[in-house]
Amino acid sequence: MAYLLSLKQNIASFFMEIGEMSFFSLRFFKELFTKPFEFKELLNQCYVMGNKSLFLVGVTGLILGIVFTLQTRPTLMDFGAVAWMPSMISISIVREIGPVIIALICAGRIGSSIGAEIGSMRVTEQIDAMEVSGTNPFKYLVVTRILAATLMLPLLVIFGDFIALIGSAIVENMKGSVSFVLYFNQVFEALTFSDIFPATIKTFFFGFAIGLVGCFKGYTSKKGTAGVGKASNSAVVYTSMLLFIIDFIAVFVTDIFV
Amino acid sequence: MKKTNTQNLQLGIFVILGLLIFVIAVYYIGKQQNLFGNTTQISSVFKNVNGLQLGNNVRFSGVNVGTVKNISILNDTAICVDMIIQNKTLTLIKKNALATISSDGLVGSMIVNILPGEESASEHIQLGDTIKSISKIATADMLTTLNTTNENAALLTADLLKITNAINKGEGLLGALIKDETMATEIKQSISTLQLISKSALQTVTKLNKMIDAIDIKNSVAGVLLNDTISAKKMSFLIESLNQSAIEINEITANFNAFSKELKNNEGALNYVMNDTIFVNHLDSSMKNIDQATEKLNENMEALKHNFLFRRYFRKLERENAKDEKN
Repeated sequence: MAYLLSLKQNIASFFMEIGEMSFFSLRFFKELFTKPFEFKELLNQCYVMGNKSLFLVGVTGLILGIVFTLQTRPTLMDFGAVAWMPSMISISIVREIGPVIIALICAGRIGSSIGAEIGSMRVTEQIDAMEVSGTNPFKYLVVTRILAATLMLPLLVIFGDFIALIGSAIVENMKGSVSFVLYFNQVFEALTFSDIFPATIKTFFFGFAIGLVGCFKGYTSKKGTAGVGKASNSAVVYTSMLLFIIDFIAVFVTDIFV
Repeated sequence: MKKTNTQNLQLGIFVILGLLIFVIAVYYIGKQQNLFGNTTQISSVFKNVNGLQLGNNVRFSGVNVGTVKNISILNDTAICVDMIIQNKTLTLIKKNALATISSDGLVGSMIVNILPGEESASEHIQLGDTIKSISKIATADMLTTLNTTNENAALLTADLLKITNAINKGEGLLGALIKDETMATEIKQSISTLQLISKSALQTVTKLNKMIDAIDIKNSVAGVLLNDTISAKKMSFLIESLNQSAIEINEITANFNAFSKELKNNEGALNYVMNDTIFVNHLDSSMKNIDQATEKLNENMEALKHNFLFRRYFRKLERENAKDEKN
């Protein structure tokens, strides 16, 4: 009976959280189009999320390209279809693996940092102090971060995809004697707009989800310093899950229209 | 402030680089699909497009020159395929070019291949032109043919098995050739005989060669005839003349033949003269009579000269003759 009760409470709290997050996102859109606009903080957040994540994304992308090519190569060799490597790798990376892996990396890096940063501000009552001093903390802290994450993630994914393809091309060049020109010729021959546009559009949603969940968890964190850790952790977990859900919806919608 | 400026600069570079990569990728993908640049639309009508899709490549003699823009079903046996062709290659594709749908490799996507027409045409294709199509063997047709070939191969191998069995048993000529030892011995003997014959033939040919070598062809008549062009002309003229003479002699002989035939047929005066002895005797006596008559006529003429009636005339004749002799 106690178990059922706790389950009921958990389900109720889950839906409450969903509801709160929905209100939170509505407030974001409302605040987004009202003055004053915090451009400086937005640019700062873009720099922190974009430039500071580039190295991580670059390394991840390069390793992703190299490993993916090395793992796929033997299977394709069995079928005598090594010539299809550039086409296959490029489509896989651009359509699916690149955006999802890089979004997950960013969820870990950006989502957790947002959750921790805002959570600590919440528990140390800095947000309350801002409200008292007449600054809109939601606009300054939340809107800028969500918007920066939404704008930067597509760029990070583009960089990540590009570096992953370079990594793949290096492996193909070394193992299969395929020149860079031939590799990228085959890549662009295989790719179509239906590959690149839906994949890029969904990364905006990924970025939005990372920013939204990170900010929400941080903004609503409670219970002192322990709450900060919980906010940071749950931001990453929820974001990762949400990313896969968004990806599923995106693929589903793309499949209907393209 | 300085830190913020550096941050903004780095952010700007980051954003511009990211957008640049995206734009370049979009440009190259668009270029592959011939969305940029000058293109012209042509079409071709096929019976079966074998799974051709929008955006599939169009190749001219193996080079990518365009993409498939639209596929529409006209009726139950005609499917119209609209293609976008790059303008720079348009002048190379003539109006009698042929379009065919084939597969890009064994597991590749379908492509439209434009082949140059057999006869050279001066006019190249233009916007909206429709080129003829030929249908290549599709995979299904190929498999059907392969099935027939397999069936035929099975029949052939069954027959071959029968033949090899028969040969192994020593049946038939081939079997006898392989199995029969007597025949093998005979064949061996025949071959050795043939060898002897060929040796003898070789010796004969060698001797003949020596004989031919011994003849001084250059200075012989045959040599002159063969090598001297002037003599050849003369010979040619001579032969022509001989030929002409032969024709004439032939004509003469023919005439003689006709003449002799007439003679034999007892017709004509000559024959009469030659064959009728009575007539000849008459003729002989007539001739004698004529001689006598002539003599008597001379006498008469002489008498006439002395006649007083004609004497004057004859004197006149003598005087005129004398005058002529003087002149």
